[in-house]
Order: sequence, then C-alpha cells, then structure tokens
Amino acid sequence: MATYQLEINGEQKSVEADADTPLLWVIRDHLKLDGTKYGCGIAQCGACTVHIDGTPIRSCVIPISRMEGKQVVTIEGLSEIGDHPVQEAWKDIDVPQCGYCQTGQIMSAAALLERIPQPTEEEIYRAMKGNVCRCGTYPRIVKAIKSVAKNQES
Amino acid sequence: MRTTRRDFLKVTTLAGGGLMLTMTVPVVAKMLQEDKEGSRVDFNHFLSIDRDGNIVFQLTAHEMGQGSGTGLPMILAEELGADWSKIRLERADYDKKYDGLIRPTTGGSGTISWYWDPMRKMGATAREMLKKAASQQWAVPVEQLSTKNGFVLEAGTERKLSFGELADEAAKVEVPEEVTFKKSEDYTLVGKPIQNLITEAIAVGKGNYGINVDLPEMLYASIEKCPVYKGKLLSFDDTEALEVQGVLEVMAIPALQPAEDMTHVQEGVAIIATSTWAAFKGRKALKIDWDLGENRNNDNQKLEEIIESAGERFEEPAYRAGDYQKLKAEEGYREIEATYENPHQAHALMEPMNATAHYNGDSCEIWVGTQNASKVVLNVAKAVDIPEDKIAVHVQNSGGSFGRRYYPDTSIEAAYISKQLKKPVKLTWTREDGIRHDYFHPYQQSKFNGLINEDRVVGMQVKLIKTQDYVSGDQLWEHPYDFEHLEAFFNPIDGFVHQGAWRSVQVHSGSLGKECFIDELALEINKDPVELRNDLLSKEIEYVAFDRPTRPGQRDFGDIVLEHRRTLRTRNRSVLKFIEAEGLWNRAKVVGAGRGFAMDDFFGETVCAHIVEMEKDDSDWGVKIKKITSVLDCGIVVNPHFGRGQVEGSIIYALSALKYGGIDIKNGRVVQSNFHNNKLLRIDEVPEIEVHFVPSEEPPRGLGEPATPPLAPAVLNAIFDTTRKRIRKLPVTREDILA
Repeated sequence: MATYQLEINGEQKSVEADADTPLLWVIRDHLKLDGTKYGCGIAQCGACTVHIDGTPIRSCVIPISRMEGKQVVTIEGLSEIGDHPVQEAWKDIDVPQCGYCQTGQIMSAAALLERIPQPTEEEIYRAMKGNVCRCGTYPRIVKAIKSVAKNQES
Repeated sequence: MRTTRRDFLKVTTLAGGGLMLTMTVPVVAKMLQEDKEGSRVDFNHFLSIDRDGNIVFQLTAHEMGQGSGTGLPMILAEELGADWSKIRLERADYDKKYDGLIRPTTGGSGTISWYWDPMRKMGATAREMLKKAASQQWAVPVEQLSTKNGFVLEAGTERKLSFGELADEAAKVEVPEEVTFKKSEDYTLVGKPIQNLITEAIAVGKGNYGINVDLPEMLYASIEKCPVYKGKLLSFDDTEALEVQGVLEVMAIPALQPAEDMTHVQEGVAIIATSTWAAFKGRKALKIDWDLGENRNNDNQKLEEIIESAGERFEEPAYRAGDYQKLKAEEGYREIEATYENPHQAHALMEPMNATAHYNGDSCEIWVGTQNASKVVLNVAKAVDIPEDKIAVHVQNSGGSFGRRYYPDTSIEAAYISKQLKKPVKLTWTREDGIRHDYFHPYQQSKFNGLINEDRVVGMQVKLIKTQDYVSGDQLWEHPYDFEHLEAFFNPIDGFVHQGAWRSVQVHSGSLGKECFIDELALEINKDPVELRNDLLSKEIEYVAFDRPTRPGQRDFGDIVLEHRRTLRTRNRSVLKFIEAEGLWNRAKVVGAGRGFAMDDFFGETVCAHIVEMEKDDSDWGVKIKKITSVLDCGIVVNPHFGRGQVEGSIIYALSALKYGGIDIKNGRVVQSNFHNNKLLRIDEVPEIEVHFVPSEEPPRGLGEPATPPLAPAVLNAIFDTTRKRIRKLPVTREDILA
C-alpha cells in the first residue's frame, strides 16, 4: 500500500492503494465517483473511459501507480453543469436506453470531437469502435456526434 | 387484473396538502383505512399531486433500458392533461402484498400493454376529480371543463386553475365510478418522441444502477465459482488470499438451494474486502479443491452426440392435425427436409451482475436491479431463513437485462454473505463470471419436413431437440400459416450449462427454422417467399381438432388455438399488406444484390417482419448487409423514439448472436469469458435500419423483443439469395459464407 497523488476533475486527491489497483476502482470505490463504469476489466468495452491528459483511456487497465502527476477527467468533470456540447447532443437526440455504457461513449466522443471537430463517418467509427453498447444505441450515438460536429461548424 | 370500477382507485390527502390516488382493490382499501395517517403511504402504484402542481409517479416496473419508466407516466399524464415537465418519477420498493394488483415481473415485452388500462384509468380519474373541484369553485357544470398542461380550463372563457391550486379540494371529491378515455386523435403526449426521464441523469454520469449502491459500513464481495456446472467445493486454502491488501475474510459459498428450479447458485469461495478490486485480487490468490462432478468431461462434441441420439428417439407427436404420415406415402406428394441449429447465447449485459444485501438479524434488505423482485424475496427468505415479509427489495435500474435479471442468484449470494458478516455487503460479479455462469439461451436443433402436393405446400412436420429450460417446445400450432397437415415432436435433453430467458426466448429459436424453411419451400415450388406466406395466410382459419387432451375446466384446445390463430392471421396480413402497399419487398430487389425476408409474432402479440438487403463483399464477413427494413404491427406506439430504439436494439442484439454468438464447452467449462471471445456488434457494423409501424388504433402490444426473432432467418435467407449458399445454423462465420 502506498499513497498516490493525482489530479481528478481539477482537484488534487491523495489515495492510499496498492500499486496495481486500476484507476477505475480508485475512481469508483475510493473516490466514490460512480459515473465511470466497470464493464470488462480488460479494455474491451470502453465503459470505463476517462480522459488522462486529454486522451481517452480505459481506466480499468491503468494502474494507479502510473497516475502520478496526471490530470484525470471523468464524466463528473467533463463540464461544470452537464452542458458539454456532447452531453447536450446526447440529451437532444435522447441517445440512452439502459444508459450504462453511455458515460464511456460520451467521454470517447468528447475526446474525438476535441481532436477532430468535423470527423468523417470513418473517423467516428474508429474513435467509437472500442465502446460497446449492448442495447444497440449505435445509430443514435453516430447521430449525436454528427449533430455536435454540425453545431460546431456554424 | 380484477377490480371493479368502484374500488379501483382510492383517494387520500397528501401530508403536505394535495391529492394522492392509489390503485387499489378491496384488501388494499382496507389497509389504507387502517393507515389513517396517510402521509405518503408507500403504495406500489400511485400518483400524487402536491400544492405546487408537482406530480409524482411511482414506478413498479423495472427500468432496464426499455423505456417503460417513461412510457407508463406518459400514458397517465396523457389522460390527466398534465404538464409533462411537472412529472417526477420515483421507484417503488417491491411489496409482496401487491402481487396480483401490480404486475410482479417485468418481461415478456408486456409492461406497456399490461398497464395501458390501469394508467389511463388512474390519469382519467384524477382528471375528473380535478375538474369536479374546479366546477365547485367556479359553480359551473363540469361538462364545460377540460384539462390541459396542468390546468383545468373553462370552455369559452380565459379562466383556468392549476392542478396545484385544486389539489386539496380535489382530494375531497368522491372518486368517480366511471371515466371515459381520450380519443387517440386528441393525444398530445402518447405517440410523441418524449425524452426519456433517465436521459438527463445518464448524460452527467448519474444513474441508479445496482452496481452503484453504496451504504455506510459496506463491504465488497466477489465469488470464485466452481468452473464446472453443478460442481462442488471440497476445500480451500485462503492463506495467500488473506495476505492481499484489503481482503478481510474468506468464506465458502455452499450449495444454496433456491426456492424454485429456475434458479441455480453455483458453489464457490467468497472474498470479502474493503474494495471491489481487493476482492477480485484476493480471488486470484485462492487455492481451491473442487469436485467437478459429472459434468467435468462435457464438451461440444458430447452435446452433438446426445442430440444425435435424441434424434433417433422421437415417438408420439406433441401436437398433430391432419394426416401427414399417411399422405407422405401417397402418390403426388413429396417431402423436403432441413435441419437448423441454434446454439447457446450469453446475455453479456453491460452492467455486470451484482446485488447488495444487508442482513439485520431479523430482516434483510436487498438492493438489486431485477425483473422479478418477487423471486428475490422468495429465494432470499429461504437462503437466510427469515420470513418473506421481513425482506425489503429496493429495485434499482439495470444496465441491461434481456431476461438475465429475471433470476435472483446474486441476491441469494449477497444475502447469504451478509448474514455471515452481519454487515451490508455489495457483491460484484466480474465480466468473466457473468459470461461463464450465465443463464444461457437454450440450445435447439429443429428438423423440418415439408409436404408438397404439386406446387402447393400442404403439410409441415417439425422435430425439436432442445436443452431444457422453463418452457417446452415451439408452438408451431399457434402459427397462422395454414398447413392442413401438421405434426410437432419434442425431445428435451439435459443441458451442460444453466439456462434461462434470453431476449425473445424460445421465439428466437423457433423463428430461425420456421422462417428459413418457408424460404426453402418457396424455392422448391418456385414461388416468391413473401407470396408463399401470403398464400399460407389467405384462407380464413378454421377449427382444427388437435390430438391432445383437454383438462377438466379448460377450454377446448382447438377453440383456444382457433381464436389465437385468427388474431395472428389478421396481424400477419396487416404487415404483409403494408409491405405491399409501400412496395418495400419489391424495392429491395436489386440486380446483382440479394434480399431476404422473415416474419414472426412474439407471444401472439406484436408481429414483426424484416427485409434484409445484402450484397457480396469479400472483405470482412463475406457479405454486407446494406439495409434492414422492419415493419411491425404493434398497436399504438406510445413513444415512437423508444419504439424505434427497441427495434434497432433488437436487430443489433440479434446480429451479435448471428455473427459472433454461440457458446463452446470444453472440459465441462464455458470457453467464452469476456468481450474478446464473446464478441458483440460494434458501431461500424450496424447497417442502415428503417422502421415502420403499421398505423393502428389498437392498444399497445409491446416492442422490447418482437424484432429479435425474425432477424436471423431474414439474414440467412438473404445470404442464400445473394450467394446461393444455404446456411442453417448460428453463428454464421466468414468461412461459412465464402466456403
């Protein structure tokens, strides 16, 4: 057990954990931020996606020991009042069914649109392929991402 | 539901002022009287309006992504004339005393249809009471009043009173004996794409999932389960596990006998820890000695051998009508035959299985996403040995369910662990636990024979072999296709894994063979497959005498079948008529490309047809699905956005099973374990989907499952049309298509 310092959603946090504890479980069980979801534990489904220094990362496979000095953003920190353009599009298109995977989807989409404000369909697929939705909301996810791109254009 | 108009609704006054309506029957009315301090009585289904006009609707159905948690209040708010923005949803705890009054389970795509009338009655009754209160205040006849957007309005004037202003007085009004419902042309909410009430929370990472439950003093648990179905725990060494940081305790999970056969709890060893991760990690340090039992050597090949031998043991048909056997030997008749295979499928819910329990000595609380809270109570009572009325189930939303959370296994385990610890405990299954110890879709082999006389299909015979589950056979006799000569045989076999309900249950297995075989018959008699279906549905259905005993007190089986088939014939024909009128099947005929068709009803309710457009594509899968056009006769669509979402979701769910499904058994163990080898469809694999609902004034019939079953046969039929390759099994691989 060691103490780790990390910046999460703009706040400095000190966490006592085993070095191999995945960031996901630090976020969920230690910091009690439950928007980030456990789905597979092997970076195959994207439910645990967070931003680390702006890059979308599967937090279920990143150990806390590698988080020293990193900036982590979870769904709770994506925007102050839940009005990030991607969150707004998710509400406008009414994307979720069960909603469980959607925070991961939103985090992946937000990172994509930050990097490529006007993604092609291929670029959307490439960025979102790692996020599984068992309910099958994929058509609406694509629609929501395209609507953000369109709004940013004008 | 049996209620008289008189006792259907009970009115009480809210503690803070206002009106509360409770769905009620005499026994409940009596309890209400006993509970005179009617501050918000925890009733299962109720509507309350406070002085500010806020409307609280309590949901007893389980919200698992199907949207019922928004669809039900929409129906209620429609009749009420409510301001939708004032609707707030609360989840009601399960309470056994309301079984029968409310629908105790959520499933079978039946929530909206079951509650259609109760929701309308509750909404209309409250509307009339608010109108009555306004009519007294204004001293005008109630006939001149109406409700809209949370106000009672007077015809011909600008006068209006808000529901909040009227709530106190309305609570004193006598509950009307009879109410009338709005006409569908006056609907302002039903039929509109109203936003899901959970969306705002989901978009900011909130959501009442079971896996998010967090209680003071709560411990975390995870169970290393015996890898072979029904294997037993002999002994374990927890020395190293207890050295893992955060691990507090290790305990055996013994053979916990569930209260009914549908449920199975696998033996194992539980790690109790200070975090989920510590519990997972502790499992890896366990040394366990298992008695793997009689299933230890099971594998795919053994299952095939069992099926083959079961195929040689068909005796008497489960149903028989006409003279199939006699005619097939006669001149002028010929037979074709084909055998279809449906493998096991896993649920692979996004939210891993979990439950939180707090055993307090003489009572036990459970927090879990469940489709069947009544079974949680029944089984937990048995597992921890306390009376059913001492168990509270706080039903959470689910991150997907598709039948899996119908079973209470995680609640049993969590309650057992909590009882040993006397502390609240959250049990989380890993993804691997969820796949390997799933309640799998049963394995089914269907052998079809068709009897042809000249260019006419006159008979069908089906021989089913399936691993046992809680239902048996395919109800081929239920189908409206007109086969004069029909025989259905059924041979159940024991499974190597536990089985249960998987989105669309046995209809999924049944549709594959039936709808592919119709296609094969059409080819044999050189007929368009949609036209053949039209032919088979053209004749008015007549009474058929079935070779099956009628039990005392039961209606004649033939009569039941007759009524059922007549209804279904109408709905199947309405779908085909729509397709013809819109030219959807003809449109799909493109030179150089292929098309496929399949249709089925789900539990005799909604009928769904899929048209698949396909082209050859040597890269990737061998073919590419260009487009899927779906037509459904499902009655009134309460929320078309959710309805379309359920159809798209069902198609994508069925495509995952078609492309990547199937479970392998090796050395008694399930081979698949996570999303790398139990693959699911990804965002770039979704074809264009076009959904049509046949316009209807009939009550809603459900949309959660009906689009699942016909998907696989429509795709297989399209593969044949595109490649001339007849594939009769799932999953379909690139090798199957290109071989």
